[in-house]
Amino acid sequence: MELDDLKGLINQKLMEGSPNITENNFTDLLKGKASSVISKIKKSLWFEIACCALVVPLFIGIALFSSHSSLKIYFGLFGAIFIPFTLIFFYLLKKINEFDQSVLPIKENLQQLIKMLEDFTRRYFQFNMALLPICFLVALFLGYNEKEPIAVLDNIFDKLKVNKSIYIGFIVGYSIAIVFGLVYLTKWYIRKLYGKYIDQLKLLLTELKED
Amino acid sequence: MDYKEKDFIQLLNQNQKIIHKVCNLYMNWQEDKEDLFQEITLQAWKAYSQFRGEAKFSTWLYRVALNTAITFFRKDKKNAFIDTVSEMPELTVPMDRDPIEDKTKAMYEAIAALSKIDKAIVMLYLEDYSYAEISEIIGITANNIAVKMNRIKVKLREATLKNFERI
Repeated sequence: MELDDLKGLINQKLMEGSPNITENNFTDLLKGKASSVISKIKKSLWFEIACCALVVPLFIGIALFSSHSSLKIYFGLFGAIFIPFTLIFFYLLKKINEFDQSVLPIKENLQQLIKMLEDFTRRYFQFNMALLPICFLVALFLGYNEKEPIAVLDNIFDKLKVNKSIYIGFIVGYSIAIVFGLVYLTKWYIRKLYGKYIDQLKLLLTELKED
Repeated sequence: MDYKEKDFIQLLNQNQKIIHKVCNLYMNWQEDKEDLFQEITLQAWKAYSQFRGEAKFSTWLYRVALNTAITFFRKDKKNAFIDTVSEMPELTVPMDRDPIEDKTKAMYEAIAALSKIDKAIVMLYLEDYSYAEISEIIGITANNIAVKMNRIKVKLREATLKNFERI
């Protein structure tokens, strides 16, 4: 029972049950939506870019027009950090579009896809993590050194009636918990979205590299 | 519809067998086959602007279809081998068994159980592509393809025998 003896029959069997697709059906298929990982990443990148486009002018506006120096620095830094990330997201999108239009040999295609997914997940993680030090350390530093009182915050602390050491202890503990929680959660989320897929692609590549 | 799209659809229509074969080989469930068919069509359309006609359209389409199928994953339970068997159309008539049909079915089941990479090599081999041509599509050397093909043949022979005894 050799493959060569059954070539013709296997070829026939591979066509069994396949409907004939007309040119009109193909026209409809071209209007459909892709469900590949690449199209999901593209959607995700467009979402990040849209968020950046919304947030950058808003934060820069707050930085320019706020009367509090801490808010100026805080939102100014936020706005500034979003700009290079917007550019990085555009760069990744350009690379993904180029890859999407290319027809490479299977091995090279797998290598490029793995590299692209790893690049994307790394940048996504960096983007999320870059905001943490600003969120906590800069906010703490600036809030502590703010000369002009911020009425809204002062009202909250007055109502809670906590003394300064408890307040600082709580803020430090809260910051540490949130930082570790966010690092772990972001890693888990990225792994859940793309981790298994990347592993499967790596297995295929390993198989191709075997002699 | 512009000229380019019309041209593309015409070529795709003439070569649709390739997409059907790839979908049938890589997916077990009808719904998944339809999804993969759509994905390959869209992927080919996206890449069509880069098609310069240096290779035959059919070879180019094989490359697109196999790349798409290999990187297209569905939930594990759907791809389990048992589903492949249950989903396969019954060829044999119990009272009047045709040994050639049984052998074909046994071989088909053995091919369906191969890895995604081995399936791609077998598919191109079945289409009578030379080892040099297969190596260009897969991206490894022709010698490596020959070694892999020999191993696949041994694997298929053993699996087909087992499947044949079961049938």
